Amino acid sequence: MKLPPLSRRSVMTGALGLATALTLPARVRAASPSFGSPELIDAAKKEGSLVYYTANFTEVEQEVIKAFNKRFPFIKVEMVRAPGGQLITRVKTEAAAGKLAADVVDHSDRGLMLGLVDLFQDYAPPNAGDYLTSVLVSPKLWPRITIGWAIAYNSELMKNPPKSWMDLTKPEYGGGKIGQVIGPSGGTTWTRIMFERQVLGEDYWAKQAATKPVLYPSGAPTSDALVRGEVQIAPLLYNIIWTKKRDGAPVEIFFPPEGVPINPYASGIPKTAAHPNAARLFLNWNLSEEGQTFMIKELGNITSLKTPPTYPEGYDPKVVKVWVPDFEQYEKLHAGWMEEWNKTYGYRQ
Amino acid sequence: MEAATAALAAPGQRAGQSARVNVAGWLWTGMLLALLAFLVLYPIFMLLFGALTGVNPVVDGLDPTNMSIDNFTAVLANPNVHSALLNSFVACTGGTALALVIGLAFAWIVVRTNTPCKGLIATAGLLPLFVPPLVAAVAWAILGSPKTGLLNTMLASIGVEWRLNFYSMPGLIALFGMYYAPYVYMFTSAALRNMDPSLEEAAEISGASAVQTLLTITFPLIAPAIISSMLLSFIVMLGIYGIPAVLGTPANISVLTTYIFNLTAWSPPLYSNAAAVAIILMVVTGLLVVLQQKVLSGRSFTTVAGKAFRPRSLNLGRWRFLTLALAIFYLVVVVVLPSLGLIVAAFRKFLFIRNVASLFDMRQYGLMHFERLFANPLALRSITNTMEVAVVTALIGGTLSFAIGYTVTRSTAPGRRAVDIISTLPVAIPGLVVGVAYLWAWIGLPGGLYGTIWILALAFIARFLPDTVKALSTSLMQIHRELEEAAWICGRGTFSTIRTIVLPLARPGVIAAMTLLFILAVRELGSSLFLYSSDSMVMAVLLLDYYDGGNISITAAFSLVQMVLLAVLVGVAHFLSRGAADSGIGKAG
Repeated sequence: MKLPPLSRRSVMTGALGLATALTLPARVRAASPSFGSPELIDAAKKEGSLVYYTANFTEVEQEVIKAFNKRFPFIKVEMVRAPGGQLITRVKTEAAAGKLAADVVDHSDRGLMLGLVDLFQDYAPPNAGDYLTSVLVSPKLWPRITIGWAIAYNSELMKNPPKSWMDLTKPEYGGGKIGQVIGPSGGTTWTRIMFERQVLGEDYWAKQAATKPVLYPSGAPTSDALVRGEVQIAPLLYNIIWTKKRDGAPVEIFFPPEGVPINPYASGIPKTAAHPNAARLFLNWNLSEEGQTFMIKELGNITSLKTPPTYPEGYDPKVVKVWVPDFEQYEKLHAGWMEEWNKTYGYRQ
Repeated sequence: MEAATAALAAPGQRAGQSARVNVAGWLWTGMLLALLAFLVLYPIFMLLFGALTGVNPVVDGLDPTNMSIDNFTAVLANPNVHSALLNSFVACTGGTALALVIGLAFAWIVVRTNTPCKGLIATAGLLPLFVPPLVAAVAWAILGSPKTGLLNTMLASIGVEWRLNFYSMPGLIALFGMYYAPYVYMFTSAALRNMDPSLEEAAEISGASAVQTLLTITFPLIAPAIISSMLLSFIVMLGIYGIPAVLGTPANISVLTTYIFNLTAWSPPLYSNAAAVAIILMVVTGLLVVLQQKVLSGRSFTTVAGKAFRPRSLNLGRWRFLTLALAIFYLVVVVVLPSLGLIVAAFRKFLFIRNVASLFDMRQYGLMHFERLFANPLALRSITNTMEVAVVTALIGGTLSFAIGYTVTRSTAPGRRAVDIISTLPVAIPGLVVGVAYLWAWIGLPGGLYGTIWILALAFIARFLPDTVKALSTSLMQIHRELEEAAWICGRGTFSTIRTIVLPLARPGVIAAMTLLFILAVRELGSSLFLYSSDSMVMAVLLLDYYDGGNISITAAFSLVQMVLLAVLVGVAHFLSRGAADSGIGKAG
């Protein structure tokens, strides 16, 4: 499959596309899903296993693997999980030494993955045409998962919860009530702080920082702190906090009206994959409607499918405004803005 | 073989064989140096190269034309590095001072007093070692967070306004001190056990009080153990990530390790800056090691001579219950409270605890986190992998450390200073950066080393060489040369002397060193992060994954599993080493 080269215009149009797509109601699809030809499934069965590198959280991915194994019990998925920066180093170094063990690489920062695109083989899922081209930084890398930002609060402690992003600048939520994930945490946080500055206003960071939020290194410890009551409010990736709410944690989550910053991952199959067929089958299933539906319903993800099969709980497509960053700006503004964010929030770098 | 054994001989032993000795001596140290070059120098070279060029040497190749010191100047001029350095210094100095007080007090109570329940106290003195730093910090965050800490909930329930705050510099110091006291305890108790009490008796006969004897005879005599253990604790604290990450981060207290971790975890990662900070850290540590050697040089610390003795114990009278109470208090603070914190976290559905009544609401408790933990096939695999790695590390590392320790402290083999210095270097490199250095250095090696547990074991052996060599050297320094000389006079070769004289006498030290290595290998996180693969996942990495994944309850459940496993295994080793100690340290040569 060939895709047109990325231009600013195509990205912008695509962003609008994603926004429109996520606001359309789901349509009924074919009953029998296709995850690949019988030959592919046979070949994958012969390979019997695959090695999966991911920057997503172990526990979440364990659930994905379990669901995949319900459909294809004959493929053993061996996972290596590492934070974004460390995963990239591992992939680069292993590849340079000719020892890249991964059959699938899955990463939250599309920019970093684009830098490694030569390591990847041509791959497209059977339902490639159902995906928004705007979120693809390369025809070899696919948005296996797409996640969006929401605001969550501890419902036991917070009796007058905020209702919007702008509310997070109010002095009544000051003094350490709000927890924030630091800007340089990764691709997803960079998307959020770009959104804050471009959509909520040039001075949003300064106003928000004035409430003296507690800073956390990544989203996961922030969500834990929120459940425990260390902080009472936190902007969080929906999928990190939703699974806790599902299991009964005292939290409420909402998608703020000003917009929901979205971050699609980039996943691909290295040229050196020792189990290329199992890898294809795994990604085919993940990117299929069945896989995406599972991840939306059970894990609180969003999707980059043009027509979402369903929505996460609390996501009203008529109200939610999806925001996708301009990929050129995503790359170009990173260093300068990040430095400003660090200064504004008094974060040591 | 005989030539090689002669190489290690003491001065004047075999004057006529000097030429043979020299060749064999060089062969011996040459072999050690070659091993150390592979284990230590080569990875450090890759690290230095990374810091000087700003590239990943495996990916971009070794291109010396791009070298510059820009990374160093940038790092040195960065005020945040200064503040991280200052925070590290304050936390580690305070922590070392506290560890010294606790560790030395324990050693003295266990070895030299008639305090009751000594077995319990001896175990209490070592227990914090089973607790990985990340686990200790998580447990104390659960207990001592100013907002939600269980201890603060208790205080509130009895109407006390004052709140504990472990998210602070005193919190960091307290944890460092409490959890690194076992280093001081292990070193100083071994030294006290091996000390001839006749010197103390002489002091008392001359009219010195018990305290005077302690301060003027006992402690000065075990000075090498005290100084080594202080230095080691300080340096180990410098390299700890888990404690400042959990307790320092919420208070915005950045130390060198959290700073370096951030540099590697940010997207994109800044490894070259991390490597530059690490090299600055190495220089600082190197200076500390030189300082230690200056302090100790030219002094004799021989306390084990060819005369039989048993360590004596001081009759404390009524005061022995005070020492017992102090030991029990320590046990409660360091082990019981954090374990309770972890148990609450591991068995409770969510860690939101509004008040004391809610803490005891049994409907909130269950096995759900353990069920989820063991539903993950990686959990069991990580346990078996960890045990394999730790055993290999303890056996090979222990043997290598003994060879190095003996060469450095007891032989006249040429080049032994170089062996000493090189084997001390790894202590200065924080685990995370060591991981990158090993990855860069060893991934390109032919054969299937990468991706197996062997690469992890090699990394641990190299990383913990300084700890084990120092631990062993301390016991070796205390064995009087007359014992070996007696064996030589009886016609034994050097290896035979080592086997029949030195090894049995140093046995408590060797077992302690191997136990230490085993524990360190089980706990080690930083250097594993880059070297594990899906087949060789270890417990520490999986634990961080769970912590990173924001699930403090599964983290706590897995921590409990790890602590119980370690306690059982180390209990066995402790029993063996106590047996060795009891079987008569002062055996004559």
